Amino acid sequence: MGKRILSTGLILLSLAAVAGFKVMLDGAERAKIPGAGIVYLPSGPAVKAATFGYSSLMADIAYVWAIQYYGNTNIPERAQNFNRIFQVIADLDPHWVDPYLTAALIAHYDFQNPELALKAYDDGWARNPQEWIFPFEAGHYCQMYLKDFARAKAYFEKAMAVPGSPDIVKRLFANAAYKTMDYQTSWETWKEVYETATDPQIKKIASNHLYNVKAAIDIAALKSVLDRFREARGRPARDLEELVAARLIKYVPKDFDGKDYLYDPETSEIKTAVNPWKR
Amino acid sequence: MGNVLELRDVRKTFRPGFIPKKKEVLKGVSFTVAQGEIFGYLGPNGAGKTSTIKCVLGLIFPDAGSISLFGRSPLDPRSKEKLGFLPENPYFYDYLSAREFLDFYAQLFRVPKAERAGRIDRLLRLVDLESAADVHLRKFSRGMLQRVGLAQALINEPEFVILDEPLGGLDPLGRKDIRDIILGLRDAGKTVLFTSHILQDIEMICDHVAIVVGGRIQNLGRLSDLVSEKILFTEVTVSGVDEEALARFGKRVSIRDGRILLKVFDEADVQPLLDAVRERGGRIHALVPRTQTLEDIFVETVARQ
Amino acid sequence: MTILVIARNTFKEAVRDRILYLLFFFSALTIGLARVLAVLTVGDRVKVVKDVGLASIGFFGALMAILIGTGLVYKEIEKRTIFTLISKPIRRAEFLLGKFCGLVLTLAVMIGAMTVVFLFVVFLHTGAFESRMLLAVFFIFLELVLLTAVAILFSSFSTPILSALFALSFYLIGHFSWSIETLIKKTAPGTGRVILRIIATILPDLENFNIKTEVVQNLPLPGTLWLGAVGYSVVYTAFVLLLAVVIFRRRDFV
Repeated sequence: MGKRILSTGLILLSLAAVAGFKVMLDGAERAKIPGAGIVYLPSGPAVKAATFGYSSLMADIAYVWAIQYYGNTNIPERAQNFNRIFQVIADLDPHWVDPYLTAALIAHYDFQNPELALKAYDDGWARNPQEWIFPFEAGHYCQMYLKDFARAKAYFEKAMAVPGSPDIVKRLFANAAYKTMDYQTSWETWKEVYETATDPQIKKIASNHLYNVKAAIDIAALKSVLDRFREARGRPARDLEELVAARLIKYVPKDFDGKDYLYDPETSEIKTAVNPWKR
Repeated sequence: MGNVLELRDVRKTFRPGFIPKKKEVLKGVSFTVAQGEIFGYLGPNGAGKTSTIKCVLGLIFPDAGSISLFGRSPLDPRSKEKLGFLPENPYFYDYLSAREFLDFYAQLFRVPKAERAGRIDRLLRLVDLESAADVHLRKFSRGMLQRVGLAQALINEPEFVILDEPLGGLDPLGRKDIRDIILGLRDAGKTVLFTSHILQDIEMICDHVAIVVGGRIQNLGRLSDLVSEKILFTEVTVSGVDEEALARFGKRVSIRDGRILLKVFDEADVQPLLDAVRERGGRIHALVPRTQTLEDIFVETVARQ
Repeated sequence: MTILVIARNTFKEAVRDRILYLLFFFSALTIGLARVLAVLTVGDRVKVVKDVGLASIGFFGALMAILIGTGLVYKEIEKRTIFTLISKPIRRAEFLLGKFCGLVLTLAVMIGAMTVVFLFVVFLHTGAFESRMLLAVFFIFLELVLLTAVAILFSSFSTPILSALFALSFYLIGHFSWSIETLIKKTAPGTGRVILRIIATILPDLENFNIKTEVVQNLPLPGTLWLGAVGYSVVYTAFVLLLAVVIFRRRDFV
């Protein structure tokens, strides 16, 4: 009996000592070198070889770890290791879409580095040319944060070409084309959308856009003609018919609905008669 | 003369694994081994012989009852200082040589270094393993393992030796050797407890005997008390006489090659039978009185259960 | 002393186990291959050699401890050699501790051999004898001592395969201590967090023995780490061995 009490006592005592030392060790300052933890992460192919065929599992683990790692704003060297880490994950499982997307998110929100974000999308696209999501997201990103419609247009074009991409990509493409003043492409694309749309809602949207594009084209053309008139005559035209009389244009263009554009001689502004979006 | 070993009402039940079914192995075993005697512990397979021994050695813990080994509990290491043990079907460290093996145990008993080598040599000679002293136990035959096991049991010059089936698997010569060693131990004043199936050997050398069946001691006592000297019958082999003439003396068992084997149950009939045979000019080939053997008692005891 | 006798015998037994040499061979191979791995990595090649070398010693050392330790006690029970042993004047606790010490001694020898190979390979790279590496090896050894105790604990009541699995789990849990720390941070303060804290304190934190970064990067080692690691290893080992003794003591050897 006494032996039993002694042994139980000793066990509890040692357990308490374990807890004590653990607390002590937790407090010990372990020096951190930026990136020290990851410097030995070899390149992807080496890691892949080392994982003995469990590479997608390793990718999972690495990805989950990376999310925790990047979620922890206290680690100063996160930015340095970003490329390396996500490269490794991509090498381990190149066809897994999420890490690329998350990497872009992190690059944008954490590091405010748009080029890094786009690179993530590009990497994903390079390894997975059948995944329209990459250029799709990239295009979104360009037009939303960078206001760079030219790049957005290029991305949307790529996305459009992937069979199975949703219809909206086409519309985004057309819109981006408009924003970059490539009215011709925009017009043609919107026409396609209009003609192939089965949803009346989409048709309406397409028609609005077509109106808008036509208006843009027409107004731009008219504006340059008006300038020429003023130069020649020394005064702004009184109305658009004058331009025809002056033989500068053959006829006054009508808007998409066949209505007149509104011309204000005072300001030389040309406007559409209606709001294209509220037709 | 004290008692080297005392068991009182030892009980043990096993609960194998998580099965609630219980197996009662020892149902109240009691016996005493006095100093200087050879004690035979017999029983059929599964009767609880080895379990009893394991209780005595502290390998298993009895649920009830008491065991006193040299006056101490088996859990006290001091009770084993003067104890020697040879298990049944011994397995030993096969990576050691015989000499290393005995040296290991000698060290455990704290035999002084100066004495160790000498003692080991003596023991190896005793069990006739001198030539194999540096051979690894891995290469030993069953008989050799038994012998080195016996050497190990004697390494500490014990007062009390427990041998579990020491004669199993040995040829008649080997058995005689072991029997002689046991007798030698008794002559030197040691105490021996051994279990065996081979009843003739027990009968030959034991002083005290206990028969255990079904976890209980069914028969216990001095061999001479258990086995009566009474002659059960006499077997007589004769030839040259007609069967009918002998019929009134005993029962004919067999006839072969002209020889008749008779069983004479009444001792008083033996002499008249011999006279009758001689009168008729016949020959007497053999005369063997059969007394009760231990085997008879054993079979009877087991049959009783 | 009885424990020493058993320890010496255990050493003899363990040293003759072929698996030791197989593992040593692979460890040496890995350390040698560190040179190859160094080529694949961006950055300081020597550091890679050192890190892989230390990791190899740690990993293969752990395998040795687990693979041999889990068989030690089990074999004695299975082969019945323990019957003869218990019939001698020895306490069961002495038997267990003797086995433990014997295996620790064996590991010390094997780790020593692996370290020699490692230091040699490092020497090939740097031309110098990097004594700081010995510190890391010492810490690895502390970890292995604890792991041995765990292996022996499981070996005293379980089959080698199960024991090896348990011991391996102990090892893995010990190295993923960061995950429970993360979990604690994410849990709202309250009973849940307190319970997690308690569990975290009792679960092995084997990362405390991992000073590879400090040693390879030549960072300072705080005194608390030294004292803490040694103390942690000692008391945790004591705890595990005590458990083993208690379990082993009342065991029936059928």
